[in-house]
Amino acid sequence: MAHDAHEQNDSVFKVGINLTLACLLSSAVIAGTYAVTAPIAAKTRIQLDNQARKALVADAQDFKAIEGKTGWYAALKDGKVIAYVVPAESKGYAGAIKMLAAVSVDSKIIDYAILSHKETPGLGDKAEKPAFRKRFAGKAAENLEVVKVPSDKNIQALTGATITSRAVTKGIKEAVEEVSAFTADKKK
Amino acid sequence: MKNLWDIFYKGLFAQNPIFRLALSLCPALAVTSNVYNALAMGLSVMFVITANNVVVSIFRKWVNPKVRVPVYITSIATIVTVLILTLQAYLPDIYKELYLYLNLIVVFAIILARAEVFAAKNPVFLSFLDGLGMGAGFAGAMVFIAIVRELFGNGTLMGIQVFGASYDPALIMILPPGGFIIIGLMIAAFNLIGQHQDKLKAAKQGSDA
Repeated sequence: MAHDAHEQNDSVFKVGINLTLACLLSSAVIAGTYAVTAPIAAKTRIQLDNQARKALVADAQDFKAIEGKTGWYAALKDGKVIAYVVPAESKGYAGAIKMLAAVSVDSKIIDYAILSHKETPGLGDKAEKPAFRKRFAGKAAENLEVVKVPSDKNIQALTGATITSRAVTKGIKEAVEEVSAFTADKKK
Repeated sequence: MKNLWDIFYKGLFAQNPIFRLALSLCPALAVTSNVYNALAMGLSVMFVITANNVVVSIFRKWVNPKVRVPVYITSIATIVTVLILTLQAYLPDIYKELYLYLNLIVVFAIILARAEVFAAKNPVFLSFLDGLGMGAGFAGAMVFIAIVRELFGNGTLMGIQVFGASYDPALIMILPPGGFIIIGLMIAAFNLIGQHQDKLKAAKQGSDA
């Protein structure tokens, strides 16, 4: 008999209503949270982006988006362009590495920041650290090559993360070349 | 009172999710290469498991047994989504580190297991304690693994140099095998202690009889 009572309780309609109500409740909660957090999240993102740019070009007073180039920003100081901050992307060991590269007006890399990556924690993610970033500073496109022997002229690879090192270097090199093409265009 | 403490305490040791139940080993390997991430992940899971236990316990009389699993999963997914949205807005740094793993919290066996085994049958406050204890056991285990791995694999704790620059880090500790080794050793240690306790208990019962 107990079994029968159980069966009655399990009519498709009742079960369906039960599930529907759960989902409705769930969507209401998520929608409510999203309504509150979405504007804040958008603001945080812009703030972080500006901070990231500022960290790359310390001298800059302001950043201006460049028309016709999505994601490109000119770093301004006293009204003059001192550097360009441009997005760079490359395929790393475990997926895309998205970066932000600061390139000086004479087409040398100043610094870069990694926005997102999927590299091995403890190995590949050392590419984010200042110790590795310093190896790039002031280099022109032709010197952006990965070598295994210690060298000041080129980029020395990270121990245990050669693929990541190569990927970052390749992405940065492309960014530098793009900026160099852009400034050459402008001069004409 | 003793009973309440037992409900909380069992998650820390006797039924520790990672070291005793061997559940949720994936995050235990993936995000324990440094202490900061492990702590953030541990606290996130602690929050989800506690909140879900409370929700399931509140609604336990209205949930049809036939659809209880989908309902529980919906509840867990909702709580995880709320957590993700909140972290995204207020703690973007932590979100950036953990976003890959946060979504996976939805399918953590330990959370569904606590909902099914405990929260669906017990009042709200007890379920809250159960979730808190299980979550604390999970977070504690995560942080412990991370301390060992970060210390020996990188020479740092929470990013601060401990062993000095001359320390040559043991790379294997940072890589997944290091995680396996530590988890294996800890499971063995917990089992040894558990056996010892069982023996003590048996001896006590023997002398009582």
